[in-house]
This record gives sequence, structure tokens and C-alpha cells, in this order.
Amino acid sequence: MAKHLRLYLRLIGVQLRGQLQYRTAFLMDALATAVLTMVGFGSLAMIFQRFENLGGWSLGEVAFLFGMVEFSFGTMDMLFSGFDPQHFGQQVRRGSLDQLLLRPLPITLQVLGSKFVLRRVGRIVQGALILLLGILASDVGWSVGKLLYLPIVLMSLVSFFGGLFVLGATLTFWTVESVEVTNIFTYGGSEMMSYPMHIYDEWIRRFFTFVIPAIFLNYYPALYFLDKPDPFDLPPSTSFLAPLVGFGTLVLALKVWDVGLRHYQSTGS
Amino acid sequence: MRLFWELSKLSFARQLNYRAATLAGLVTNLFFGLLRAAVLEALYGSREEVVGISLQAAITYTGVTQALIAFTMIFGWYEVMDSVYSGEVASDLLKPMNYFTFWLARDVGRAVATFLLRGLTIMAAYALIFPIIVPQGAEQWLALVVALILALLVSFAWRFLVNLAAFWTPNALGIGRFAFILSWFLSGFLMPLRFFPDWFQAICSLTPFPQVVNTVVEVYLGLLTGADLLRALGVQLLWAIGLILASQLVLRAGVRRLVILGG
Amino acid sequence: MSSIITVSGLHKHFSVPKRRAGLWGTLKALARPEMTVVRAVDGISFTIQPGELVGYLGPNGAGKSTTLKMLTGLLVPSEGEVWVNGQVPWRERERYVASIGAVFGQRTTLWWDLPVVESLELLQHIYDIPAARFRDNLAQFRALLDMDSFLDTPVRSLSLGQRMRADLCAALLHDPVLLFLDEPTIGLDVVAKERIRQFIQHVNSEHGTTVLLTTHDLSDVEKLCNRVMIIDQGRLLFGGGLPHLMERFGGNRELVVDFAEEYPAVDVEGAAVVARDGLRVTYQFARQEITASALIGRLSARYRIQDLAVREPEIEATIRRIYEEKLLESP
Repeated sequence: MAKHLRLYLRLIGVQLRGQLQYRTAFLMDALATAVLTMVGFGSLAMIFQRFENLGGWSLGEVAFLFGMVEFSFGTMDMLFSGFDPQHFGQQVRRGSLDQLLLRPLPITLQVLGSKFVLRRVGRIVQGALILLLGILASDVGWSVGKLLYLPIVLMSLVSFFGGLFVLGATLTFWTVESVEVTNIFTYGGSEMMSYPMHIYDEWIRRFFTFVIPAIFLNYYPALYFLDKPDPFDLPPSTSFLAPLVGFGTLVLALKVWDVGLRHYQSTGS
Repeated sequence: MRLFWELSKLSFARQLNYRAATLAGLVTNLFFGLLRAAVLEALYGSREEVVGISLQAAITYTGVTQALIAFTMIFGWYEVMDSVYSGEVASDLLKPMNYFTFWLARDVGRAVATFLLRGLTIMAAYALIFPIIVPQGAEQWLALVVALILALLVSFAWRFLVNLAAFWTPNALGIGRFAFILSWFLSGFLMPLRFFPDWFQAICSLTPFPQVVNTVVEVYLGLLTGADLLRALGVQLLWAIGLILASQLVLRAGVRRLVILGG
Repeated sequence: MSSIITVSGLHKHFSVPKRRAGLWGTLKALARPEMTVVRAVDGISFTIQPGELVGYLGPNGAGKSTTLKMLTGLLVPSEGEVWVNGQVPWRERERYVASIGAVFGQRTTLWWDLPVVESLELLQHIYDIPAARFRDNLAQFRALLDMDSFLDTPVRSLSLGQRMRADLCAALLHDPVLLFLDEPTIGLDVVAKERIRQFIQHVNSEHGTTVLLTTHDLSDVEKLCNRVMIIDQGRLLFGGGLPHLMERFGGNRELVVDFAEEYPAVDVEGAAVVARDGLRVTYQFARQEITASALIGRLSARYRIQDLAVREPEIEATIRRIYEEKLLESP
């Protein structure tokens, strides 16, 4: 295990050095990624004075949710770049996956180590800033429980998004055309999760509760942190399902991934 | 002119072939449209109108902007850069046609195809889901057509200009990414510009970007009438002419540079 | 059981969806795909002994790569058994691949942006190679493959030949008992090919590494392999030594003679004149009827000869004949 961790860090280290070789390009990319996040939230913030609230949530409260999701998605996007369905699909078609299969290391570790996009740091920092802004502006009544739970929720979100990436990558074993649809769940899903879930139509909310259990990772934890009442009257403990759902999604996705890998080894395409 | 027409037809036909991509693009655009509509609905709450825009108009706005994404390539376009970096540019410059016109011809074909395949489809889907606003009367329809054409010209000239950076630097991709995020932000794509504070609207109006999205939306929603409408179209036209002239000048300098470097 | 590779009754069948024309066809194919079965490998059996250097030959799409993928554990067969070095390749993948080396000609296992030497060092950690052995092996291979000039160059800037050398080195650092090569000389110039062949030969004879290589290039086979297997349409057509193959299917040899002076008639029994160009005459003769030395003896007894050369029938032509005429049935 320790050996695997060391190897993973080595593989990542190689990526980092490669990316820092082109310093200007790296800085520009990181900045562009950051600006992209800021622009989205910035327009919402600028027009907020005309509206006062978004479905009953103040700007600070929305910032809290928005920052949480952006920060986690950015972190995931950096750590799980190897599983990015678009990238992974290309790797499969180019036969790079075969090269990984020829090495005596767990394949998951190698895919994780095969790409690490440092420029996502831009998005992570922006997400963290917006989260901080949300915390400051919405006066969260901090308690020990909340302090301990916040990092857990963030990690759960990272795992959850990671699980979606892994599932998307797995689909490309069957069809490359799946990538664009997968993007709706990953990029679309994270965008959707940046806003309070009660603003969506019931069918969308149901979908992101029962099919993709996103609501337990962003909305319910946020209700707990912000001390807001639950419009759907679920038990208060629902706010604490995040780790179970988040890590569960990742574990489940990795199981499906194994099935996909077996399929790949029986078809080779 | 014949060559222009042929090039347009070719790129139109090619666009029709990307069936899977078109379908996926449609679904994505629609999904994000619904999402943005939900956000606006939540912002409106019980209000009926904000700065002259009704909730119905706001929702229609999300549909129109989503429909414009593919038509004016709001998220960016890097084809000229690619051809400069791949070296294709050399043979394209030898064609008996202005390099700008050559790309414009292809872009027109592409735009018309995506307008039909994606623009109209998204609006149709919207009409099924929401009680959207539809332009009334021949005058407004005509104005809309003019605004769409001018929006395409402004957007194309701007995209072309950004792409010309490739003649000077190997990092044009990074520049392009910034330029397109900027135009995206200031065009009124994210939220109707009228919602923004005055100072921000003032900044936007100094740039060509509102001409690509916001003006089209306002014409579509009937927010502009009479003299205001004519003035808006006039401003669009001026930006189009200005940007086309600018890209011709920059192109000439770029070609000169390329020739010197190439030997 | 002394063979290092035992393959018996190996099959690999793929189901490929039939493509249909038009949008409607695409939709129908999505809903209820019609499948065609492609028998890429269709019942192959062979064994390879430790230390052999075997060439695996066949036209495009014959099933060479599919076989190799099954031997390296990348693919699981539809039917049949494979034992390599006492293991089944696709079970316990990690343990198995640690014992083999493989180079798939078109792809590199090295890191694109890294200098070659850093890629190799990374592999040292991945394969857990003891430092001393890594140093020794690297020193030896870099000398043999003449890698000094590009050891610090990023892989993306290497020429194809340099990249292949680096990949060969990478595949052998962990002292595998077996080396699988898929088209190791494809796309290289003559000099580069020669260097790689010499290296493969060296590894085979000095380290006792068993080598199985697929190739299009018959001179690879000619110069390297003590045994060749020919595959077409998923079936083995021939397995044996190259001389044996040429003897059975080689057809006629040729003798090219440059005479020292002009002769009105240059006939000789046992051979036929097939071309005459000034002083140069080309004879054709069958190996079953007369040996080359007997023929030369007869000619030099009668004429003054300036120079001569024996031309073997081209293996390429021979093998093409085998494919085309299906001269062989599966053993």
C-alpha cells in the first residue's frame, strides 16, 4: 500500500514537472480556469441587488453552496483527470490503456497517475474564495460538529464527482459517443448542484435524488450548515448522509469500472 | 461570389453530417437552458417584472441565448489558429479569395446549418415546455433576421481577429481562451444586461460583445421598438463594419509577418 | 513440460455490430444491433521452447496482433488454453506482466514529456528493480543500443528509431524471461533496422530471453528467427525452420553470371537462360535438380567468368504464394 502511494506520487510528480515546463501556458490556463468560475458567480452576484434572494436564499447562502460545489468539483477534476471520460475515451482508442495493462501495477492507480491537471488549481482557489465569502456573508452559527463536518462534506463531494467520472470513463469501453451525454451528468450536474435544489422542477429533483443522489451531497449538508428548514420534511439526519452517498458512489463506480475493464479485455476495443 | 456560395454549401453539408454531435449538443444546450430558467424563476420569486423584463421574457431569454450558442460559437472557435499551426494556412492564402472571405464563407454555411439544426430545435423544445414569447408582426421578424445576420458578422469578425493572434505567437490558444471568456461574460449571455448595474452596462456597451447576444435577445423579446430598434441595428452594423475593417488590417500585417518569417 | 509457451486450441471471436446506412439505420442498429462474428484467431496450437527466437508472420488482419494480445494478457480468449512461463496471462495480471517484456511497435510505453532516462527510472520503481541491477542493465543496454546521444531528450522529440531503441531498453530492464515484439522494425530505415535486429539477437543469445516477434518484414525473419510460424485468417499455415520453408515452397533459384567475353551461345544443362543483357546472363535452376556449386563448375569449365552471384528466391514472394495459393493446410 505504501509502495503504491509512493508510486502514485512519483507518477503525479512527473506530470507536474511536465506541465511546469511551459510556465506561461500553465499560468494562462490556470488564470482562464479561475476567471471562468468567477465570471459565472460574478454575474449572479451583480444582478442580485435587483432580486434580493434566490428561492429564499441570500447571496451569501448561495455563495456557500456554490463555493462548496465548485471547490470540490475542481479538486476532483484535478485528481481524477485520468478518468475524464473525454480524455480516457481517447486513451482507449489510441491503445494507451494497453500500455498501462502491461505494467505490474493496479490499473486504477495507473489511470489516476496518468493525468493530473494542475491548472485546475485556478478553479479550486476560486471555489474556496467563494465558499469563504459565503461563510462570511451568511453568518453560519459555527459549532464543533459543523467544523468537523465541513471537510467531510467536501471530501464526500470530491468522491461523488470522482465516481461520476469513473462511471463516464467506464461507459467509453462500450461507446465513445457516450462522452457528450456523460458531460451533462458531470459538468451539468455540478452546475446544477451549485444552486439550491428546491428551485428545480420536481422531476429534475427526483432524478437527482433517486437516480443520481446528488441532493444528499450539496443541498442537505448546506441546510445543516446554514440552519435552514427543509422544504421536503425529511428527517434532519438526511444532512449527514453525504459521506455514505459520496464514498458509496465512488466505491460502486469502481466496481462497475472493473466490469468495464473485463469487457474491454474480452473485446479489446 | 460563386466560390463563396460553394464554400458555404460545402460547410453546410458537412455540418449536417455531424449527427451524433448535433444531438448531443442539443441535449446539453437544452439541459443548461432548463437549469438557467429555474435559476431565473427562483430569482423572480413572486415578482412579475424586473426592469421591464417579465418572467416569461426572462425564461424566453434563456432559450434564445442557448439557441445562439452554436450559431455564433459563443464558447469559442479556434479553426484559423489550427490551420496556422498546422501549416494549412499557406495553401489557403494562395486561393483566389480574400482569406477573411474564405473563412466567412465557411462560417456562414456552418452557422446556417446549426441555426436550423440546433437553434430552431431548441426554440421548438422551449415552446413545448414553457409559454415562451414569440416575435409579433412582419416588422419585428424582419428586424430579428437583420439582427441575427449582423450578430453573426460581428461574432465572426471578432473570432477571426482573435484567431489571427496565431500569426504572432505560439500561445494564441491561451489568448483565445481569455478572449472568448471575456466576450461571453460581456455579451449578456449569462444574464440579460438590463439586470446588471449601470456601470457594468456602460463597460459592456464599449465592447462589440452585446451586439452578438444581447441585441438579438432584445429584438426577439420586443424590448426595442421604433427609433430604439433602428438605433440598435445601426450600432450593430457599425460594429460589424468596424471589426471587419480591423480584421482586414490585422490580417494584412499578419500575412506580411508570415511571408517574412517564411523566407 | 519444458515449453515456455504452450498454446492449444486458441480461439478469439469478436462480435461486430453491422453498420447500417442512414439515420434510421443508425437508430435501428442502436436498438437491436445485428452482429457479425469475426474469427480473428480460429483454433491455433503451438509450443515454444525456452531460448527460442520465433517469428510470427502473416498478412494484415491475419490474427497476429490478436494472438500477441492474448499471450500478453491484454485479451481473454474465447476458447482454448494458454500457458506462458507456468502462468495463465490474463489471470493475476500484475504478477504475470512483471515476468514479461513487450513492445508494440506503434506505441510507446514511455512518458511523452519526460527525458528518456527519467522514464526508465520511473520504470525501475514500477517494476521494483534493485538499484544495482538497474544500473548494470541500463549501462549495458545503452551501450548496445547506442542511446547516449538521446538519453536526456524528451520522448516526444525522438525519431522513430530512437524511440524504438528506448522502448526496447524499457521492456528489458527488469530481466523478463520472455520478450514479445509487435512489428519491432516497422517504419525504420535499413541502418536502424539492422541495429535493432542485432540487439534482439544479442538479448536472445546472451540473456537466453525467449523472443516471439510479429513482423511484415521478411528480412527480420531471415536474419533473426530460427523458427517461423505463418498465420492467415486466424489459422496457422506453417510452423518450422526457414530453410525448411524455402526448400518446400521456395521455387527456383537464380544464378547471375558476368562473362569475361562475349560468347555466341551460353547454354548449360540443368539451368535455363531467363535473361541476357550484354555480358550478363541470368540462369534459373531448381534446387532439387542441381546444386549451385555444380552449376558454377559446369559453367567455369566452359567459359571465362568475371563475376557471379546466386540469388535465392525471395521469401516475400514465397510467402505470398503460400497465402494466395493456400499451399498449406493447418498442421
